[in-house]
Amino acid sequence: MNETLPISIARKGANVLKYLRPVFGAVILIFIIYRLIQTLLIQEIFGPETWTRLVIAGMIIGSVYALIAIGYTLVYGILFMINFAHGEVMMLGAYTCFFVFEALKNIKVGADHSLAFSNAYPVISIIIAFILGMSVSALTGFLLEKVAYRPLRQAPRLVPLISAIGASIFLQNAAQLLFSPQLRDVANPQILARGSGWKFLINGSSVTIPYTGVFTFLLSLILLVSLYLIVQKTKFGRAMRAVALDKKTASLMGIDVDKTISLTFLISGALAGAAGVMWGLHNSMVYYFTGFVPGIKAFTAAVLGGIGNLPGAMLGGLFLGIIESVGPAALGIDFQLKDVIAFLLLIVVLTFRPSGLLGEVLAKEKV
Amino acid sequence: MKAARIFVVLMFMFMMMTACNAAPAAAEPNSPGSVTEVSGSDSATTSPDAAAGTPEICSTDAHGCAVFKPGDVVKIGMGAPMTGGDASYGFDISQGGTIAVQDSGEFEGFKFVLVVEDDGGTAEGGAAVANKFASDPALVAVAGHIYSGATSAAIPIYEKAGIVMLSPSASLPTLTTLGSAVFNRIVFTDARQGPPAAEYLFNKLNVRKLAVLHDGSDYGKGLAETVAAKFTELGGEVVITEAITKGETDYTPVLSAVAAKNPESVYFGGYTAEGAVIVNQMKQTGLENAIFFGDDGTYGADFLSRTGANGEGAFATIAPIPADSPEKAAFDAAYLEQFGKEAGTLSPYTWNGYDSVSALIAAVKSVAVVGNDGNLYVPRGALISAVRNLTDFHGISGTYTCDAVGECNTLPPTFVMVKDGAWVPAP
Repeated sequence: MNETLPISIARKGANVLKYLRPVFGAVILIFIIYRLIQTLLIQEIFGPETWTRLVIAGMIIGSVYALIAIGYTLVYGILFMINFAHGEVMMLGAYTCFFVFEALKNIKVGADHSLAFSNAYPVISIIIAFILGMSVSALTGFLLEKVAYRPLRQAPRLVPLISAIGASIFLQNAAQLLFSPQLRDVANPQILARGSGWKFLINGSSVTIPYTGVFTFLLSLILLVSLYLIVQKTKFGRAMRAVALDKKTASLMGIDVDKTISLTFLISGALAGAAGVMWGLHNSMVYYFTGFVPGIKAFTAAVLGGIGNLPGAMLGGLFLGIIESVGPAALGIDFQLKDVIAFLLLIVVLTFRPSGLLGEVLAKEKV
Repeated sequence: MKAARIFVVLMFMFMMMTACNAAPAAAEPNSPGSVTEVSGSDSATTSPDAAAGTPEICSTDAHGCAVFKPGDVVKIGMGAPMTGGDASYGFDISQGGTIAVQDSGEFEGFKFVLVVEDDGGTAEGGAAVANKFASDPALVAVAGHIYSGATSAAIPIYEKAGIVMLSPSASLPTLTTLGSAVFNRIVFTDARQGPPAAEYLFNKLNVRKLAVLHDGSDYGKGLAETVAAKFTELGGEVVITEAITKGETDYTPVLSAVAAKNPESVYFGGYTAEGAVIVNQMKQTGLENAIFFGDDGTYGADFLSRTGANGEGAFATIAPIPADSPEKAAFDAAYLEQFGKEAGTLSPYTWNGYDSVSALIAAVKSVAVVGNDGNLYVPRGALISAVRNLTDFHGISGTYTCDAVGECNTLPPTFVMVKDGAWVPAP
């Protein structure tokens, strides 16, 4: 665009921007610090038990965001494209979770056939749910790439993006037609019943760490660490990084680019599927629109951490989850404004670090 | 490359076909969708100056007449949430209405039909459905809408089109203060639901510290404010008032903030989808000893299945469950036979849905005339005043007489609570 503008105007715009950006960021920062001092030091609205609860809630939701964000970042790293259908891949995982537990609930075992399978063998049931959920989502991701993105590999970068949005709408509506638009409740096995957890007292008030939450957090940590190891230590991981750097050279070195990209989609789909199953177990409610909001939030988390960067996506997810949960209380504002805080934070971070929190890797190597 | 492209196209077609085939299977067996499709709008027209045979009343009526040729059906509309977390209300009330249509029979050979459209319970959906109904010349009255938010968006559209409304469940107090000529309702208002709830909390449950939550909707917020005002007036303390975002599945942050104030009870103005999540998460945020007190929007079978053991001891205020009568027994039997469920388990309003539709059909019958040409003429203006002047109409839920602003029911609410996995009358 700059060539078509007179040079003086272009320069003036750049100058204004240069001054405006730090001023804008500083104003938001001052506001945040002022509110923090107000609520934390002067008014002391909440005791330590409330802060603990808020941080617990934030870490749980943040770990789900992180798992989904990894999918965005993996695909972006390799194809330079935002896979907007990723939230829907997660939604299919959540639906699988619902169907598995619904089926296992109706299989009766025991001497008098009164005990549901999911309660008699909870660990096996949960493993089945994860295997099936991750497989369904991985397969969806794989087919998505084959159908919606591979034919557009050589097209301009905007084209696969449109295709991704189309795929997202298609998957949402397919789920609505196939599974009906009603809210579904996941029938958790009793050991992961909603509202149960470890209780301890802080300030005489009982704080609960829900079992589903601990489970969600630990499992996503394990998945994230193992993914990091795969990418950094294995042959396939090396191939992936090579394709991300330069597809042509990688293929000259004997790397099967198509296969690597397919596998990347398989992995990102499997992670989204795990996130979906966790979502089903922890939040219990599943419907065709389930994937949309977590998808957008995870995308935000990926950008926040520096898109294309694996540890960045993990950090961004956890960061976003905790900020969302703690932010409104810390700033002493309405809880309905939590999304405002999350996105305001995104603006502040991008104002000072346009490539995200851990974004240098990308900035140096790829752009 | 070519093979790959063909594969892609085939794959896509296959997916489309799967989706299309699955559609009928996915529809609920009880779906009132079976009665929604009616042809005939092509022949029914609204035109006061039609051919000879037009009754005199049509030329003097403020909104003209809806004209039906022999064989056409007279449509009664209903805008209801048929999808999403609150769909049980839409299904339940429209199923009640469907039975009312069957019971009301024909008028001079003209059949009635209930047309149910999904408005999602939202203001946008309400306006969209209202515009659709207003453009259908065969539609003479609307039994709805179900939710207050959708209703308040729909009222101005029906006002312009001259379509009369009789809502079975929109309980926002201000709906009848807008000076609308077409809007009437047979449900109690939140002004009658809120204060008794506050009194019950204060006097019966001995609650002195109350937390008030609402979902930000016209209905939930209005109700929560009424309760908070009355509770303060009684001498109790409202320790915190918070709004939540509709449609989310994690309210632990806001509940943690509520827990920090140590309320003895949490009053929630809103619907089941959010209410059930709140009840579940109260157990893990330090509110396990606080009493959950809901409204007529959090009553129903869905609330029980979603909360399970966590829902024990939750309260709700609902429209009075009608006294036993032969009509109620006949309706309940028909409901069970047609839809496979006990009447009143999905929502407290299925009887109101029946009453609303049958009152509208009775009003249509009272004003409709058959012209010399054999066509049926329904004067819309006369229908509006007929519904507003409804007097001593005997329905299942009670006897309705509409006042000057369109309030047709003045009964106080009933209190219910969850005990052993079922809704029972509260002590």
